[in-house]
Amino acid sequence: MKETISSKRLGENYLRIQHKSGLTLLLCPMDGYSTAYAMFGTKYGSIDTSFKTSEEKDFITVPEGIAHYLEHKLFESEDGDAFARYAATGASANAFTSFDRTAYLFSCTDQFRESLEILLDFVTHPYFTKETVEKEQGIIGQEISMYDDNPDWRVYFNLLGALYQNNPVRIDIAGTKETIAKINAELLYKCYDTFYNLNNMVLTIAGNFDVDTVLELADKILKPSKNVTVERAPVEEPEGVFQKEVIQNLPVATPLFQLGFKGKSYNSAQNIRNQVLDEILLDIVAGECTPLYRRLYDGGFINQTFMGEVMVSRDYLAVIYSGESKDPKRVYEELCKEIKRIQAEGIDPEMFARCKKATYGRYIGMYGKVEAVSSLMMLTHFAGLDNMYELLDIVADATVEQLTQRLKEDFDTEKGALSIVSAKE
Amino acid sequence: MDYQLDRVKIGDEIFFSSIRDVKFKNNRISVNFVLPLDWKTVSANAVVPFLLRKGYRDCPDFTKLNQRLYELYGASLDADVVKYGQYQIMSISIYGLDDRYTIDGEPALKECAHLLAGIVLNQELPDGFFDPASFEVEKQFLIDTIESEINDKRIYAINRCRGIMCEGEAIAIRKYGTKESASSLTNGDAVNAYHNLLNSAKIEVFFAGSGNPDTAKKEFERAFRPIKRNYQKADNEKIRTKADQVKEEREELDVSQGKLVMGFRTGEIQDEVQRSAMRLMVALYGGTPFSRLFTNVREKYSLCYYCAARFDRATGILMVDSGVEEKNCQKAREEILNQLDVMKRGEFTDEELESARITVQNSLNSVSDSLESLESWYLTQIMNGTDISPMQDAKSMAALTKQQIVEAANQVSLDTVYFLTGRKENSNEGNN
Repeated sequence: MKETISSKRLGENYLRIQHKSGLTLLLCPMDGYSTAYAMFGTKYGSIDTSFKTSEEKDFITVPEGIAHYLEHKLFESEDGDAFARYAATGASANAFTSFDRTAYLFSCTDQFRESLEILLDFVTHPYFTKETVEKEQGIIGQEISMYDDNPDWRVYFNLLGALYQNNPVRIDIAGTKETIAKINAELLYKCYDTFYNLNNMVLTIAGNFDVDTVLELADKILKPSKNVTVERAPVEEPEGVFQKEVIQNLPVATPLFQLGFKGKSYNSAQNIRNQVLDEILLDIVAGECTPLYRRLYDGGFINQTFMGEVMVSRDYLAVIYSGESKDPKRVYEELCKEIKRIQAEGIDPEMFARCKKATYGRYIGMYGKVEAVSSLMMLTHFAGLDNMYELLDIVADATVEQLTQRLKEDFDTEKGALSIVSAKE
Repeated sequence: MDYQLDRVKIGDEIFFSSIRDVKFKNNRISVNFVLPLDWKTVSANAVVPFLLRKGYRDCPDFTKLNQRLYELYGASLDADVVKYGQYQIMSISIYGLDDRYTIDGEPALKECAHLLAGIVLNQELPDGFFDPASFEVEKQFLIDTIESEINDKRIYAINRCRGIMCEGEAIAIRKYGTKESASSLTNGDAVNAYHNLLNSAKIEVFFAGSGNPDTAKKEFERAFRPIKRNYQKADNEKIRTKADQVKEEREELDVSQGKLVMGFRTGEIQDEVQRSAMRLMVALYGGTPFSRLFTNVREKYSLCYYCAARFDRATGILMVDSGVEEKNCQKAREEILNQLDVMKRGEFTDEELESARITVQNSLNSVSDSLESLESWYLTQIMNGTDISPMQDAKSMAALTKQQIVEAANQVSLDTVYFLTGRKENSNEGNN
């Protein structure tokens, strides 16, 4: 089944193909580009710690960090690792595990066919033994140590740990040295068989490539997967935050902070739509064009590292501001005060128009980059949106009424928390 | 696609260069002031772009300026300081949507170019100074930036190693200067530095994007016309090419993972062919996920989480940096040197060489897909007085022989070893 998805606004399109193996292919050839950017991803990340398939009766719970561990191990096969195979094609290859996704990717300017063949092959052929699984514990242990020293990473996870009480989003993606010690080959196969079912996966490619080559290789390599669905154990997450404030000491010059508000979660698709609207709000509240930003900047309370972001998945939405500050508590107080003011007085229409225009420009820019297009296709597919252009339409169609509602639900100062990393006194 | 750089002189040592490609949806313009690194002026120069970013005569208010940028579809106006060899480059850039994508066909490119030219050349300096409050804020941020280098231990360790290695050379000067040089800055220093940038620096205006470069060029020709120039070519300082003896330093900090950085000199590099050979040698040695360092130090012996080599063409310095635990430090160091000896003896396979070659070619051929990469590529060409497109460079890689790679490896000598480790009280962590 092949379908062309178009955007009238951009005058561009891409293809959605339902492959007989169960895999969805999203393909966006882009004229004039030298690079092809391919991602093979599964809807499986660090938050999927308790699950069952439609054929199983009971939920099983696996050690934290296993999705990331599996990502590392998948690069290995009986005859060497995938990096060594990419060595012969010149592609730049990588992989990542996030809260709700694991993706294997490469970018290349030549030998696209050979690189895609490697990608499709190694991701669909797991190979773990007791020895190879044990060996990885040292390497991942080092990676965890590295993140333990990383103030940006710590301040982020400390915030999530403060905002959420039970949701596994509060746990570090790589797990801990203790949790990864419990991982073995059998558990890895269990997770692989559940989540690396092609019906739970997507292949997204953008840039310089030929669609027929992709179809030919998919036919050759992909074996049909049994059509089972995965069910995740529901998480009972109370509305309130776990703690209002968390401080960690690490050697940093200026304290780092992340402050966040626990927003209202609906479902994957609605959360993504709300994310786009909340991004406009981030600017309306504290973007560079606001009086609040100016007050904080001139007072030396924030610097150019100050930024806002929204993070969402199927069962959470959080609005976050981060940066460096000599007085993070002051920044937090000022932000809360400003949010309450706008909630009481309403959103200024001029400010709304300005911030909407800026967000629109930023989104258009993304459709001009191969890696961003590949990522957007994957993101919107897993979230259950119609297509990646819907994001741009959401910005273009945004109204003050929508944002007023979002401001109420997602910028609730009663559900805020502050995380600080600072040097020892 | 392959490009032809269009470069024209629009004043005394002021150039406007452009690359156009209609596939992009954005345009990027930057104004780059190039001056020799000098510890006396480094911090004063560094603060200037950040002060300029705050406003200009047509839009003196910082918030109003930002509102204008939002209305230009979220155009971003960025101040930056970079170091290229013994030069300090102060730049201000604007990145915005092309006219084809604006909702009512607004001329975004012209507006962006006009705004950037105004920021650079049409400053309001009441009583001849920058706004005092603004100066104090930016000065403090400069100090904070210098101090916050310690936040990223990997970069911190690399910089420490380079500093020890190049002590007394201009290339050892940090791009923002030191905490002391930043703390002693006055508003007068900043104003003098600004005038000096306009009058005496080499100025490179660079355009990359899908719009018409002439639209931008006209704005800058007009804006630069009244400036009286007094450009003086600086003498190039000779950078050391060979290490006499190995310097060693060890530092303790509150970290759970140690950082081992080894700095090498790469000898006299005569021409572009030798430079390409060195780059390819370094890729094969430690620049890819299947390089000698990655497959041995990390994968085979599990001595570290990362181990990579980088070659800086501007200084001829090769750096190997690695995240290792204290107990593995000595072994990692030996293996890093052992792999260099393997390179020197030519004991690598043809397959390894071909892999490194096509990987480097792949990354060169990818340059044309990003405005930032194109700008950075061509500014480097301009700094070196060359005009080679990324694609041409990729083609020239094809001709390099194994012998040339071995010769490149034999030019390399170890200069400095720096190890950042956790304090003793924490050293039992991570040894599980």
